[in-house]
Amino acid sequence: MDHDPFRWGRPRDDIYGKYDYSIANSEHYFQEHKDKYSEFPRMNTQEPIVTGTSVIGIKFEDGIIMAADNLGSYGSLSRFTDIERLIEFNDKTVVGISGDISDLQKIERLLEELKIESSYDDVNIEFQADNIHKYLRNVLYSRRNKMDPLWNSLIVGGIGSDNEPFLKYVDLLGVEYASPALSTGFGNYLAIPILRKFLEEKGIDETKTDSDNFRNIKEEEARKCVLECMKVLFYRDARSLNKFSIVTISKKNGIKLEKNLKIEDMSWEFAKDIKGYGNGQRY
Amino acid sequence: MSQDPSSINGGSAVAMIGKDCLAIACDLRLGSQSLGVSNDFEKIFNYGPNVFLALCGLGTDVITLNEVFRYKTNLYKYKEERTIEPETFANLVSSSLYERRFGPYFVSPIVGGINSKTGKPFICSFDLIGCIDFTKDFAVAGTATDQLYGMCESLYEPNLEPEDLFETISQALLNAVDRDALSGWGAVVYLITKDKVVKRLLKTRQD
Amino acid sequence: MSSDYSNIKDSAPIEHRFNPYSDNGGTILGIAGEDFAVLAGDTRHTTGYSINSRYEPKVFDVGDNIIMSANGFSADGNSLITNFKTNLQWYHFNNNEEKLKISSAARLIQHLLYGKRFFPYYVHTIIAGLDENGKGAVYSFDPVGSYEREQCRAGGAAASLIMPFLDNQVNFKNQANQPLRYLSLNEVLSLVKDAFSSATERHIHVGDYLEILIVTKEGVRTELYPLKRD
Repeated sequence: MDHDPFRWGRPRDDIYGKYDYSIANSEHYFQEHKDKYSEFPRMNTQEPIVTGTSVIGIKFEDGIIMAADNLGSYGSLSRFTDIERLIEFNDKTVVGISGDISDLQKIERLLEELKIESSYDDVNIEFQADNIHKYLRNVLYSRRNKMDPLWNSLIVGGIGSDNEPFLKYVDLLGVEYASPALSTGFGNYLAIPILRKFLEEKGIDETKTDSDNFRNIKEEEARKCVLECMKVLFYRDARSLNKFSIVTISKKNGIKLEKNLKIEDMSWEFAKDIKGYGNGQRY
Repeated sequence: MSQDPSSINGGSAVAMIGKDCLAIACDLRLGSQSLGVSNDFEKIFNYGPNVFLALCGLGTDVITLNEVFRYKTNLYKYKEERTIEPETFANLVSSSLYERRFGPYFVSPIVGGINSKTGKPFICSFDLIGCIDFTKDFAVAGTATDQLYGMCESLYEPNLEPEDLFETISQALLNAVDRDALSGWGAVVYLITKDKVVKRLLKTRQD
Repeated sequence: MSSDYSNIKDSAPIEHRFNPYSDNGGTILGIAGEDFAVLAGDTRHTTGYSINSRYEPKVFDVGDNIIMSANGFSADGNSLITNFKTNLQWYHFNNNEEKLKISSAARLIQHLLYGKRFFPYYVHTIIAGLDENGKGAVYSFDPVGSYEREQCRAGGAAASLIMPFLDNQVNFKNQANQPLRYLSLNEVLSLVKDAFSSATERHIHVGDYLEILIVTKEGVRTELYPLKRD
């Protein structure tokens, strides 16, 4: 070990040879070998590091409900357990973010900047959920065009310019779509089937976006269904946490963000029957 | 450049079931990538009065497998003192292909025939390692598979009389191969009923 | 003495590059009639084996009696259509609200597509409308802007299934002694429905709903039909 105070802790060059910076793939190495590497535009996220798992969302009578857990995973390590992934923009817009957490924070700052920059003039610009969605989709799409993506999938929920419930997805590629039930990541396999079944039982016509179409779905029922989904996600998604947040935005009652909720009424009875993979039949 | 064995030589085939009859058809092209080599490469073979096999895919394997099945069906005839039934032949094709599970023949076969006992028409298709796809309407194979599915799915109707079935399968094949650069250059249709087999050559685009 | 690490100095790092494209499935189909044109598309939106939305329209009335769809990678498709609409706005501002001819719209789209020749919009684009003589017109484009006016064209995931059917039923290909004629709107609509229900049957990325936009001199009209959801 090198005891020189400026190189403390490093392997000594005269014993181990010059330190190979390419092992850590560090900036230092690129600076030293600029000639060897092409001047490709600097990229921040080439792969996600600390990540958040699924965000789910569903429409009801006169609004939307969304949920996301509070975990920030570092690979398979549960690194941070108090990450808030539902970003309140204003009283009619919320942004649920999954994927890279550093990019989530970048998006948070962008939204804050947007809010500040638009509040200088006297004209009171009130952004609706669809405006925020369009803004974020343009941010994400232009970052993908620079080959320097923000590594996230988002669901924007709230009340749109038409004064109807709004729920729409957008991801790191700029791909966007709307549906009465939405999810990111693992939720596509675990939560969407539950939410779609719920909507089908309520006789929802997915081609209509007006709130009259959703009059059958009361807030409480939708909330119950979302809680069920969060439970299933915690059961089967290994990168999930039993601590989560739910946000409700309705035309009547505005925005309500509930934090630090715990998954209730869990039953791990089934666990003892699971033997290996498959249906558990032994030969 | 693509070196997928199943699309070097090109070619397509289709079979359809009608009322107490069936039709099986193929194009006549054999090429080497984009170069056309032969316009009389028939891909339909028969192994008994009412048993037909269409073989699409790698030309050399088409020829080899025809010889293999001629050999096997001849032995079958000596042993059993009768010709093979289409259902039995389908299983022969399947097991012969599966025998080469880890070094397969690059072919997609279709079997079609009329059972001599029951008089019922029978068709089925296979993947290159012998998984059978039994079907009661139509079966397609070859480089124009997508086009053939589109044509058959929209033109086909059940219980067609032989001449109507001939028109349907011909239109399906012709229009499908015209949208595939690797298929075409002539076509043949076998119209099979209990007591006769009619072979017709179709006039097609030559590009 | 030097460590083993020094020997691997020049070994290339493993490459894990960001892929800026994806495929969102779906299929589209345009047919021109004598005094009308239709552009139809299914409304299923997919990535891989997942159905993201059962109703995400991709055929749009972009103004000036022109309907447009860009099928393939939906982020690029949406951008192309927004860009077209913006350009159309500017055309109106600069030319005293003059209506854009469909032939000019087609040339504009060629430039929009070719402008991204070296990072293409991953889409198959079709527009439909009426030409200067009031005849139905369909133009179709490849991802980098090659284009052609046609009587009919299918694009997207199930194009290979639908296109030969159209050759046969719209242009009467391989039907000897069947003279070419214009199809009526009702004939066209039933062909479109047949084409899509067949494609839905055999293609997993096609289904849910069929949205048909119809252009006549009276304007643009929309019809919506259910398709199989499996």
